[in-house]
Amino acid sequence: MSDALPLPLQLIWLVPLYGFSGMLLSLPWATGWIKLNGPRPAAYLNLLVTLLAVLHGSLVIREIYALGPQHLDFPWFQAADLNLRIGFDLSLTNLAALELVTTMSLVCQVFALGYLDKEWSLARFYALVGFFEGAMAGVVLSSNLFMSYFLLEMLTLSTYLLVGFWYAQPLVVTAARDAFLTKRVGDVLLLMGVVTLSAWAGSMEFTDLYAWAGTARENQLISPLAGTLLGLGLIAGPMGKCAQFPMHLWLDEAMEGPNPASILRNSVVVTCGAIVLMKLMPVVALSPLATTVLLAVGTISALGGGLVAIAQVDLKRAFSYSTTSYLGLVFIAIALQKPGIALLLLFAHGLARALQFMSVGSIIATTNCQDLTELGGLGTRMPATAVAFLVGSAGLVGLLPLGGFWCYGLLVENLREVAPAIALIFLVTNSLAAANVTRVYRSVFLGPATPKTKRAPEVNWLMALPMVSLAVIVLLVPAIMQRIDPVPGIASFSLPVGLAVVASGLVGVLAGSLAPSDAFWSRSRRPTLRLLQDLLAYDFYTPEIYRRTIVRPVASLARLTRWFDITVVKGMVDGLGRLSLATAEGLRLTVSGQLQTYVLTVVLAVVVLLGSLQVLRGVS
Amino acid sequence: MLLTSLLLIPFLGTLALLLWPGNPTPSRLRQITIGILAVQLAFSLATALAFDPAQVGLQLREQHSWLPGIGLDYALGVDGLSLPLVLINGALTLVSAVITRDISQRPRLYFAMLLLISGAVNGAFLADNLLLFFLFYELELIPLWLLISVWGGVNRAYAATKFLIFTAASGMLILGAFLGLALLTGQVDFSLTPVLSDRLAMGGQLWLLGALLIGFGIKIPLVPLHNWLPDAHTQASTPVSVLLAGVLLKLGTYGLLRFGLQLFPEAWERLAPALAIWAAVSVLYGSLAAIAQTDMKRMVAYSSVGHMGYVLLAAAANTPVSLLGAVFQMVSHGLISALLFLLVGIVYRKTGTRDLEVLRGLLNPERGLPLTGSLMTVAVMASAGLPGMAGFISEFLVFRGSITAFPLATLLSMVGSGLTAVYFLLLVNRAFFGRLAITPPSGDAVADARLDVQLAPVAPRETIPALALAAGVVLIGVWPHSLGRISEVATTALATLTTGSGGLG
Repeated sequence: MSDALPLPLQLIWLVPLYGFSGMLLSLPWATGWIKLNGPRPAAYLNLLVTLLAVLHGSLVIREIYALGPQHLDFPWFQAADLNLRIGFDLSLTNLAALELVTTMSLVCQVFALGYLDKEWSLARFYALVGFFEGAMAGVVLSSNLFMSYFLLEMLTLSTYLLVGFWYAQPLVVTAARDAFLTKRVGDVLLLMGVVTLSAWAGSMEFTDLYAWAGTARENQLISPLAGTLLGLGLIAGPMGKCAQFPMHLWLDEAMEGPNPASILRNSVVVTCGAIVLMKLMPVVALSPLATTVLLAVGTISALGGGLVAIAQVDLKRAFSYSTTSYLGLVFIAIALQKPGIALLLLFAHGLARALQFMSVGSIIATTNCQDLTELGGLGTRMPATAVAFLVGSAGLVGLLPLGGFWCYGLLVENLREVAPAIALIFLVTNSLAAANVTRVYRSVFLGPATPKTKRAPEVNWLMALPMVSLAVIVLLVPAIMQRIDPVPGIASFSLPVGLAVVASGLVGVLAGSLAPSDAFWSRSRRPTLRLLQDLLAYDFYTPEIYRRTIVRPVASLARLTRWFDITVVKGMVDGLGRLSLATAEGLRLTVSGQLQTYVLTVVLAVVVLLGSLQVLRGVS
Repeated sequence: MLLTSLLLIPFLGTLALLLWPGNPTPSRLRQITIGILAVQLAFSLATALAFDPAQVGLQLREQHSWLPGIGLDYALGVDGLSLPLVLINGALTLVSAVITRDISQRPRLYFAMLLLISGAVNGAFLADNLLLFFLFYELELIPLWLLISVWGGVNRAYAATKFLIFTAASGMLILGAFLGLALLTGQVDFSLTPVLSDRLAMGGQLWLLGALLIGFGIKIPLVPLHNWLPDAHTQASTPVSVLLAGVLLKLGTYGLLRFGLQLFPEAWERLAPALAIWAAVSVLYGSLAAIAQTDMKRMVAYSSVGHMGYVLLAAAANTPVSLLGAVFQMVSHGLISALLFLLVGIVYRKTGTRDLEVLRGLLNPERGLPLTGSLMTVAVMASAGLPGMAGFISEFLVFRGSITAFPLATLLSMVGSGLTAVYFLLLVNRAFFGRLAITPPSGDAVADARLDVQLAPVAPRETIPALALAAGVVLIGVWPHSLGRISEVATTALATLTTGSGGLG
């Protein structure tokens, strides 16, 4: 760290602290110490510090353009051969991710002012979002695995608290529990990987880990089995964070939380998980098996998520499964060592998904309904929301020349030679996503108005403003992508590939438009179709599978332990107690009162004691 | 004189309370006790300031011949291993005096016993003589037995007797091992000489170390010697539980490191693989048993069994990082379990029950216990090892230090850390989330639930100790250097005792 660095760079450690300080600043209102004038001041303070974070980030970007990538770190804790540091990797990609995080946080916070207008615990929401934002800002800048892990777990905690925001509702209780435990399973597996890696490689800096991975590969430092276990442990954490099969069920249930948090979760939190995976990939690549698992997980998530999304009747869930599907695509790109394209996809997806969730939030806020079968005819009543929905969806699907299209084009172009099957998976996922947004658009915005939508007005300006601004940004995404990745450019794919992407998108749109969409008959009467519909609607019965394979065995094991504890351990102790009482009763009768007997007993005891000591000495 | 004052203040305080003229009210006695304990904490802090972290070995030593005939010297000293525990003792006894309310029955004796425990624990941590340690180790037993058997719950006689028998057996085993060591080595001055046992052959070492392991294993407690702990906790009142979990269990782990590892490094190394497995069994057993509990206090008690297992794992691995982790784990478990018991105590006082099948929705902002619930969330997250709090850095150090020596046992212990999240999340989810309701114990959760619950508000003075403990937990979590700098030299020295004879690496 040199003093010559410009001030914004030297103060980079402030960036995650903006979010955390927002949390601390909200506490007086969140805990009810300040009741005067309502909880709004907490929201304004949070907006202010987030704005500072955005501005600080953009200053840093300007400096880094001039100076090139920088690395800063500070000691945190050192003991024996362990050196834990706080490190920041200031590259343009990391900073772009930081700006994505802080800007999305800012936009969501404005949106939340409108969405949670009448919420009594508004301040608590802002405190949690501040915590969330701080952790994410740290994750994307982090230059070492320890700090990444540290902050990922903080994200787990804040997800739990945000999902559990309306903790009095029964569904929220289970949702928060599942969100925490699923992610925690991933985190514990990741921790196993982190601890092992720390012991093996010595340092936790990503660059040192890459160097170690290189040496380990050349010199066969670790056995293939150890390498595979390490790789699997390392991918488990991001799998949980990015809601990949089979650890995806939390994202669906997490939709019970307030919508502004859902926006962040579906756009930037999953992005953070994928970025950590990307940073770990050179170590994971030590094991071919782990890479294959990563590829398989991505594929299953992409296709499975896309299919399950189509069968959902809940507005938010229809898109949360689509998030799983898109992150599956990112996992595939990472597994096939295409981190550049994976980043572009994350960027395009993050912005467009956030916009989509904002329009969803607007619909829920005005209609108080998120059931697709009860919505309809909103297109004319909420034009801005409808436009935002269309722009967001178009930004995701590969059809119109927005972010999604260029990403699909690049991916298919790069993979059609090496893995044609995977290229096909991308096209199928695109069709599924297109079909999904089309059917949702039809049932929400088209058709006759329903009782719930008849009097729906357009949203207030606090929600409309961030939504429209974000729509403009989504329209500009291709231009930004071109600046992030100028070589070889986002259009470096052939015309047939482009046509294939457009064709797959068109197929999806057509399928979505032509499929029967009668709210009353939304559940088919044909048994086979019904079976399939249920299978998808209930997410391949994943919760039930979990209940049978994990929850029940652990619960039985716990009950068995309690039984053992009560019957065997306590039983033995109590038995010993009873035995000694009984012996005492018996011994009472042997008391004779004769001095000689006592002396004899004492002498015998001393002899036995000394004898055993002599034996011990003999042993030694 | 600094160390002697740490004994004199509480002991003279005990006398003063017992002889205090007139008939002081319970609240007056409480104030006096708080005053004495505050002075004691101030002296503990002064000790920390006078302590030189860079120096190896015991410091601030005081030595007077007491009963040379039997080798009992009045010898005190402090190092990086004992200083954090002395500080924890100072803080937690003060907390338990502060949270003591409505003691109407024999208040004088109650507070005197509290002070006596505090002094005895200080003595045990500071003793630089085996017999002196034993003396204090036993001295702490009687007041605790009284605290459980006089001021405990309904089933207190059973719990207190069980506690007494178990710990008395523990004391006898320890005394036996000390005497055996002195007689067999011929060094009868009972001074704490590191590596004393290498004058013995391995067989004798293993016997003596085995006795110590079982003796301290009862105190820690390790499975299957843990049976006294859940009963003692459920019957003890909240302040006593805070003391028991926060301070007294640490006597066991401290003894393990100080007298097991330091006196018997060779035999320790021989037994280490078995100890690591024992630790993993303890961790998993404690965690699984905790999942099945419905009494909050019992759940926290079993979690103690699990979490103290990490200390044994770290001690078995015997590396500089793992032993530092052991000290961290002792301190953070002290703070976190004290916080948990304190909060469960508040819930019990306000609702009259600790049953997870009875309580629902306590987070309710108007009629429930919102601040208690929030602090409970902090405490369980800290216990589950969430970063930013003391539990995480402690567990990380333990695991990081142990994984190369005992990969399997470490990974199994990490599973236990995952299970901690399961049972504590169930606790928060069941009792604090959902709609505020109290169901009669035998009733149906939906049909018979009482929804018109209006709990008495928790006064700020009741939550201040909890806030202070939570602040300590977060402080160590974000600034571990504050604790690490005190202990690092001592733990590194301890871990390198055996490197001459081929350490565990």
